[in-house]
Amino acid sequence: MDTTQLLKGVLDMAVLAVLREEDGYGYDILRRLREAGLEEVGDASVYGTLRRLFAAGLLTTYVVPSESGPHRKYYSLNAAGRDQLTRSGKLWRSFATTMDSLLDDRGMAA
Amino acid sequence: MTVTEQEITDYVARVRAALADLPTAQRDELTEDLADHLTEVAAEAEGTLLERLGEPETYAAELRAAAGAAPGGGRNLDQRVATAMARVRGRLRTLDTRLGPPLGYATASDFLHLLRPGWWVLRGYLAAMLVTVISTGGSFGLLPRFGGELLAGMIMLIGFVVASIWIGRRSAQLTRWPRSAVQVGSVVLVIFAFAALMQAEDRMRYGDYGYDQTSVDSQYDRVRDVFVYDSEGRLVENARLFDQNGNPIRLGYPDCSEEVYDKPNLRAYPYCPEQAPFVPRAPGAPLPRGSATSPPDPTSTPDPSGTPGPTGTPPPDGTPTAVPPSGTPTPTPTR
Repeated sequence: MDTTQLLKGVLDMAVLAVLREEDGYGYDILRRLREAGLEEVGDASVYGTLRRLFAAGLLTTYVVPSESGPHRKYYSLNAAGRDQLTRSGKLWRSFATTMDSLLDDRGMAA
Repeated sequence: MTVTEQEITDYVARVRAALADLPTAQRDELTEDLADHLTEVAAEAEGTLLERLGEPETYAAELRAAAGAAPGGGRNLDQRVATAMARVRGRLRTLDTRLGPPLGYATASDFLHLLRPGWWVLRGYLAAMLVTVISTGGSFGLLPRFGGELLAGMIMLIGFVVASIWIGRRSAQLTRWPRSAVQVGSVVLVIFAFAALMQAEDRMRYGDYGYDQTSVDSQYDRVRDVFVYDSEGRLVENARLFDQNGNPIRLGYPDCSEEVYDKPNLRAYPYCPEQAPFVPRAPGAPLPRGSATSPPDPTSTPDPSGTPGPTGTPPPDGTPTAVPPSGTPTPTPTR
């Protein structure tokens, strides 16, 4: 099992978490995820996740004109998105705790 | 920025083609921002999109999975063809851009566009030649003829060239079916042109462009002299040859004696007896019993009326001179 497999289940949450601190456009979000340590995350995965979260009504978008480069579509967390992040965050912590104790019991160092 | 608008458009087109099995609304929703997003990606980093993001089909599969859309396993033939077409189109566009600079133009198609009027003229000529071949039944040269008439052919040529240019200048305004008809017609003319070129190539290479070169007396034009042998293999000298009308048959030319040149009517064969292919033999000389090529040897010539030698025992057919000790009566041919 590599990080890519794990990422599939938690990418939504990771994207929501990144947007929680600050709005961002596609490539910016990708870069922040990678800086946070998720280096194997793919461009298409992030873009697809953003599209899906937007379609699910968890994100809103707005376009920011830019003098130097292309116009950028910024994604922003709305109320539904924040709720979703809170719920999935709790779920993840409990799941992670369970996994940690499971591994600790079997003598695996964290 | 190293990525062009065109590259982004092509990439998006291929991603969309790979998602062709999704409902149109879903596909549009997934890809509506893709071009903008790729522009950002292109602006943020060096390298081509392919280097940065991989093949569009892979990108599409990842996008499909991340967006929670149905997996693309069961794509039908139409979609696969559409994907392949988009891919080929993208490659051609890349090739077009690559080939342009060596020709001195931005793209190769810029250069080819300049050649279009030339093609229209050639197309008119080819159409006239096709009619020539059909109307005159196969044999044709380089000029068009209508039913074998050159003047009519030239009028037809001018008409076809003008029509071809007219069609060429208006091809952009043609609707679908006339445009397809023009394209199919052009392809037919190109195939015809290749077939005609192949045929002309064959005719030129084998040197029979229209007529055969034949020799009147091809069988005998290498004959220099005639040697007549009688039934016993002896060379007949001063032989004369005549045809059924009593006309002398003249073959060859004397190259060994200048006298014969002076009296052409008195020529008799062979001109040069010393060049006989088989050893000349004096008329009346008997055939040797061994090899036909043995030279005459007077010492072994049998003489039916020969007298016995003083010391030898006369053999039945007798030898007038030297009798071998072993008494061999027959002449021994030397080889």
